[in-house]
Amino acid sequence: MEKQSTREDLIAALAQDMTPVERVKPAQGAGLIAFATLVAGVACIAIFEFWTGMVTGEASAFYWITNGLLLLLGAASTSGVVASALPRVGSRGNAPYWSAAMLAVVPIAAIITVVSLEANHDHSSAVPSVLADPATWYWECGLYGTIAGGVIALASVLYLRRGAPVSLERSGWLTGLAAGSLGALAYNITCPLDTVAHVGIWHTIPVLVWAVLGRLVVPPLIRW
Amino acid sequence: MVADEPTFARLMVAAQDGDKAAGNVLLTEVGVWLERYFRRRVPPHQIDDLVQEVLIAFYTKRATWDPTRPFLPWLAAIARYRWVDHLRKVYKHDGKELMEDDAVEDSDEEVVMARVSLDRLMKQLPDKQARVIEMVKITGLSIREAAQKTGQSESLVKVNIHRGLKKLAAMVEKVE
Repeated sequence: MEKQSTREDLIAALAQDMTPVERVKPAQGAGLIAFATLVAGVACIAIFEFWTGMVTGEASAFYWITNGLLLLLGAASTSGVVASALPRVGSRGNAPYWSAAMLAVVPIAAIITVVSLEANHDHSSAVPSVLADPATWYWECGLYGTIAGGVIALASVLYLRRGAPVSLERSGWLTGLAAGSLGALAYNITCPLDTVAHVGIWHTIPVLVWAVLGRLVVPPLIRW
Repeated sequence: MVADEPTFARLMVAAQDGDKAAGNVLLTEVGVWLERYFRRRVPPHQIDDLVQEVLIAFYTKRATWDPTRPFLPWLAAIARYRWVDHLRKVYKHDGKELMEDDAVEDSDEEVVMARVSLDRLMKQLPDKQARVIEMVKITGLSIREAAQKTGQSESLVKVNIHRGLKKLAAMVEKVE
């Protein structure tokens, strides 16, 4: 609908075209993002196979803690994304950002662990250093998690385009956090590498990548 | 008289269900509400244009109102979004419009009203940013002239204009 020469003409034209609409509901958005996560997870399992070490007690505590924090961040940011699709004024919750801050402890802990282990490592001994462990350098997990996040980002953008987000930058950040955390989680359930260095760095890096991508790429896609 | 919250909500429920008569009354009332909303925010000659833009956005996005939530904050959020968009366009594509158009074509009162809202925002900026924005974006001086007048380097003038405009946009977005 284009602007008219007078407001009365515009109102008459809009009223004439007034048809019933199906309301946009946050639950639909949450359901769509959950479904996208499921699709990404099933695709990862189909490609990389499910890691049975998760159920046989092999997985380290660090692995569970990281995935738990990713799940919490995914839930908080999904809730933020779907809420941001409906126009509103007033204060908005900061739970996704606090969840992201909590998750940031994991890579920081991993880097401190790697640095301190390496500094105190006896290089004359037969025991390999943490930097010599191939798992520490297996960056592909970060890439696969980031690719899986694309499915969640797509679902979020589709839902946001149905809605009317009024804070595009915030919606972009939240989409990035949801895509990164849930994409990483979808891939991580297939990865048998659960050392502190590997999980702390390569299983969380999709969140950082997608947060930046979300902020830069999403706003132009959801502008209305 | 502008309709109250329960009236707006009732009309909106009917409009979402496709009631054309309710839609007509609602759009008219929303137009009146928007006119009051924008009166203190944009120069008078831009109000009708902006009201029409918001009415179209209102119509297009009417499915995003949840009947369990208040209507007016939803409408205010859409109005504010369009207003910020409008300000961005003005700053980005037509930085001199306020000064040139208003001075030539509009009454003194309109110029004063436009400047009052702008001045209120400008007061919240650091002085060095406000001064160069005023000189370059409003008065129309070149970057070099502003640099000479303020004693800042040309690149610093550009940085201060960029940061100041970004802050202004952020301040406008925070206005509830």
